[in-house]
Amino acid sequence: MAAIGIHFGYTCACVAIYKDGRAEVVANDAGDRVTPAVVGYRDTEQIVGIAAKQGRVRNAANTVVKVKQVLGKRFDDPEAQAHKKETKCQVVNREGKPFYEITFGEPPVYMAPEDVAKLIFIKMKETAQSALGSDVYDTVITVPFEFAYPQKQALRQAAEAAGFHVLRMIHEPAAALLAYNIGQECSYGKSHVLVYKLGGTSLSVTLLQINGGISRVLSTCTDHSIGGENFTQALAQHLASEFQRTYKHDVSSNARAMLKLMNSADMAKHTLSSLGSANCFVDSLHDGIDFECNVSRARFELLCSSLFNKSIQPVKSLLDEAGLSAGVIDKVVLCGGSARIPRLQHLIREMFPEVELLSSAPPDEIIALGAAIEAGLLVGRDSIKSEEESFTVDVSAVDILLKEIDESGAETFTVLLPSGTPLPARRHHLLCGEGKLSTLCLEIYQRFVAEQPENLGKIIFRDLQSKEENHNIDAVLTMKRDGCVHISCVEQTHGKSEAIIIPAAS
Amino acid sequence: MLLEAKDGEETVVLKAAAASVQVQVEPVGRWFEAYVRRRNRNVSASFQELEEEEESSQESEDEEFQLEEHPMLRTLDPKDWKNQDHYAVLGLPHLRYKATQKQIKAAHKAIVLKHHPDKRKAAGEQIVEGDNDYFTCITKAIETLSDPTKRRAFDSVDPTFDNSVPSKGEGKENFFEVFSPVFARNARWSSKKHVPKLGTMESSFEEVDNFYSFWYNFDSWREFSYLDEEEKEKAECRDERRWIEKQNRASRAQRKKEEMNRIRTLVDTAYSCDPRIKKFKDEERARKEFEKKAKAEAKKKEQEEKERARQAELEAARLAKEKEEEEAKQAAQQAKKEKDIQKKAIKKERQKLRTTCKNWNYFAENETDSVKMMEEVEKLCDRLELTSLQSLNEVLASGSKQDCKAAVEKQVEEVNAQMQKEREAEFQARQAARSAEQASGGGGGGGKGWNEEDLQLLIKAVNLFPAGTNARWEVIANYMNLHSTSGIKRTAKDVINKAKNLQRLDPLQKDEINRKAFEKFKKEHSCVPPSIDNAAPSERFDASGSESNAAPWTTEEQKLLEQALKTYPVSTPERWEKIAAAVPGRSKKDCMKRYKELVEMVKAKKAAQEQVAGRKK
Repeated sequence: MAAIGIHFGYTCACVAIYKDGRAEVVANDAGDRVTPAVVGYRDTEQIVGIAAKQGRVRNAANTVVKVKQVLGKRFDDPEAQAHKKETKCQVVNREGKPFYEITFGEPPVYMAPEDVAKLIFIKMKETAQSALGSDVYDTVITVPFEFAYPQKQALRQAAEAAGFHVLRMIHEPAAALLAYNIGQECSYGKSHVLVYKLGGTSLSVTLLQINGGISRVLSTCTDHSIGGENFTQALAQHLASEFQRTYKHDVSSNARAMLKLMNSADMAKHTLSSLGSANCFVDSLHDGIDFECNVSRARFELLCSSLFNKSIQPVKSLLDEAGLSAGVIDKVVLCGGSARIPRLQHLIREMFPEVELLSSAPPDEIIALGAAIEAGLLVGRDSIKSEEESFTVDVSAVDILLKEIDESGAETFTVLLPSGTPLPARRHHLLCGEGKLSTLCLEIYQRFVAEQPENLGKIIFRDLQSKEENHNIDAVLTMKRDGCVHISCVEQTHGKSEAIIIPAAS
Repeated sequence: MLLEAKDGEETVVLKAAAASVQVQVEPVGRWFEAYVRRRNRNVSASFQELEEEEESSQESEDEEFQLEEHPMLRTLDPKDWKNQDHYAVLGLPHLRYKATQKQIKAAHKAIVLKHHPDKRKAAGEQIVEGDNDYFTCITKAIETLSDPTKRRAFDSVDPTFDNSVPSKGEGKENFFEVFSPVFARNARWSSKKHVPKLGTMESSFEEVDNFYSFWYNFDSWREFSYLDEEEKEKAECRDERRWIEKQNRASRAQRKKEEMNRIRTLVDTAYSCDPRIKKFKDEERARKEFEKKAKAEAKKKEQEEKERARQAELEAARLAKEKEEEEAKQAAQQAKKEKDIQKKAIKKERQKLRTTCKNWNYFAENETDSVKMMEEVEKLCDRLELTSLQSLNEVLASGSKQDCKAAVEKQVEEVNAQMQKEREAEFQARQAARSAEQASGGGGGGGKGWNEEDLQLLIKAVNLFPAGTNARWEVIANYMNLHSTSGIKRTAKDVINKAKNLQRLDPLQKDEINRKAFEKFKKEHSCVPPSIDNAAPSERFDASGSESNAAPWTTEEQKLLEQALKTYPVSTPERWEKIAAAVPGRSKKDCMKRYKELVEMVKAKKAAQEQVAGRKK
């Protein structure tokens, strides 16, 4: 059974299918793997995608962009108001909800944001169906971490109206982890991953902890004031000033010319991610004058230097907030189309010098990929019916440690069971003691974060025979859901065994 | 490296571990799924494993305990293996198609241990050499049953299966006892699991419907390859193999068809016998009947309601009318009464005046004066209002003769003056009307001076030159100028205006004009003898000339008239009487008038057209 994952972003949407154990992104009918989330209304038809985006130059009043910003919002919500101010399509208040006023023909038609989102979902569905060759219903949809319940609900409604069966809605950073298969190989071990997403209109940085194969968000930070569009804007401004310098015409007041410049700047920006320089060319920009301009990558980086700083800043503050140093982070995942910008990648790499920077997959696609992988996991299963409630699990609150000595004879602590492990959990360790010893002691400690370890108990082995090789002790440590710990140890040569139960504090 | 234990140390628990905490996690990934599944089942992984083990051990127990030895095993003919019951051979006749693969294997193992030729040889039995030993039967049995395809083929033709279908007669009574086991039996052929049960009398409509739709769409896995007469493996060449295959396929299809027919018959029979279906149908019919009735009732009610409303309305209207009439009647009576009173009063006053005057001997000395005065008094009586009469009478009653005379004379004078004034006013009005007429007559084509004759002429002209005539209004104006007696020159414009005005006039006025014209005509021509020259043959009267004039000469009458004119030439004595007789509904005068008109029309038309044509040149 086929299933798909959809990443429905502010500016773009992307769909990936899960088929034959693999997830892959599907290109739409225009051959693009990412579809602009733009819907243009004409008198006879509604167009979605690149055609609508390009048609916006002529039809700005009836073209809806960034519909996700108002989805599920009240009309008086500040974000909806901001969207109203920014967008060229009329937004009106109807029963407290924002509606788009489409003025093609009389009387004007009022479109709910859900209807607009539905059209985009239908487009994604068609795209997926063309690749699969069959109908598809089951889907996983990604949402930003900060999405509130009504927003999720609105998105779900839109997807269901488009004929989808929503298996689950997952957070974008979690989907990104899944796409890189982080924490999926084995069910133990603990790691920290930073997901850096710079999308079209927003930046979100999320710190996740993966423990026992299950990830949880430690802290997150979203900034809606910076995104790929700001870079495009900066470049377009530059182009406009170039034009003014050359032809002595001010185009900044000409809305259509600015839209054309934005489109051209967008293209140039994409080119600059791979090439050293890009050529912008706009036919008949102003007064019938054709405009041509060459922008180098260095120039672009200079133009956007303040924006780059702004994009990087949240990472530092996030780490400070979580109380973690950059060294704790094991992996950094880049996603969002703007994470392609080489300068940005360079800056992040500088910040995490020893960390693996994951950007092998196209960053604007990996969220959809992750969603498709999740869809593949879920499809055909009895899904848990706790869609509305948050998923909580019991985890261990402390590190369970074992006191040992290293080669130099100093005491060290070995982690037997890290904090944050989902319970119940069982860990198997093979411990070694020096062969010449006849007695061994396993001292069990617990440690809260950044505190001194507390002794929980000890296990003593006596009357061991001295031998050349090391004593091997099999230790099985089990922690139940309430937090009580069972430890049973077996000395392998003699089969001597010891076990203790450490009860959980109530 | 582990620590060394110190003396006196023992295995001990010192402190309770920290309790677990709950955290929110991202619902993604396979480990999360696994975790949730475990939690939902509320068992640990090891317990799950244990459960599975238990299940498997239970299965093996079954196998060991329930093997039944085939009583005829030793006498079986290996050559006839196809007809043997493989399950019986392996000792599983009670399980048959329900036997699991594991059970079959175990049974085979057990039976081989017992019946293998080597074993028997060791036990000192005589063994038939080669393939003829009955052990071959066991081998064939396991061969068939261990292969799912072959096993299915054998199961399909299970010799113990009862293919029978109960007849309708059987099914009519105790339907459930008869059909329940049959459906249960046949359910084994279903490709789908969870075959719906026949149910009971209490089953709901959905259940029964589901049951029958399932069985009507029954998808059977039963196939009949086991019964193939020819074995493909035996063929010597490809052609033969193909032929065999073809044969087999045909026979299999045939059997499959029969099988489907059998199931179909079964379901059909069951359906026709099912008391529940009958019950549902009855219920449905009853429901429909009820609905229909309810509908009809509602309609009837509605109609009645309407009728009642209408009646009430009518009644109300009638009452209102009656009341109105009553009121009007009363008002009329009242008015009449008042009038009567007034009349009486005035009469009385008049009488009084007369008697008073008479008493005073009309204030006259001689006869002539009295007569004159009498006249005056009578005039007074006629003209004076009730109030003035009363006041006059009062004066008369109270005053002396002289006073009375003076009062009466004053009144008389007043009345006379009034009468004089009225007469003058009338005269003046007449004068004014005459002068206005004259003024309009002398208006000089200003459009006002239309006397009756002119109007008559205009109507005639308009009818003479119907719409569509070349330069119609000019022609009409010309005609008017030629024939008008008033001598006013009229332009086409005047004519149009007047004609328009006339058109706007109501037909009553038009009639009046026509009537007047006719009267005039009558006056003028009453004395003119019918001296008509025979110059104009009747053929030249075209129909257009006589078309719908205000004078109602119909086409029919016109034709009759023309015919009559031709029939009776001028010389005929009493010609017009005869003509009138020939045209029913027309008098002699009518006919003559018509004739005159026609002649005039033709002449005028000709003249006018000639003149216009001349001017155009």
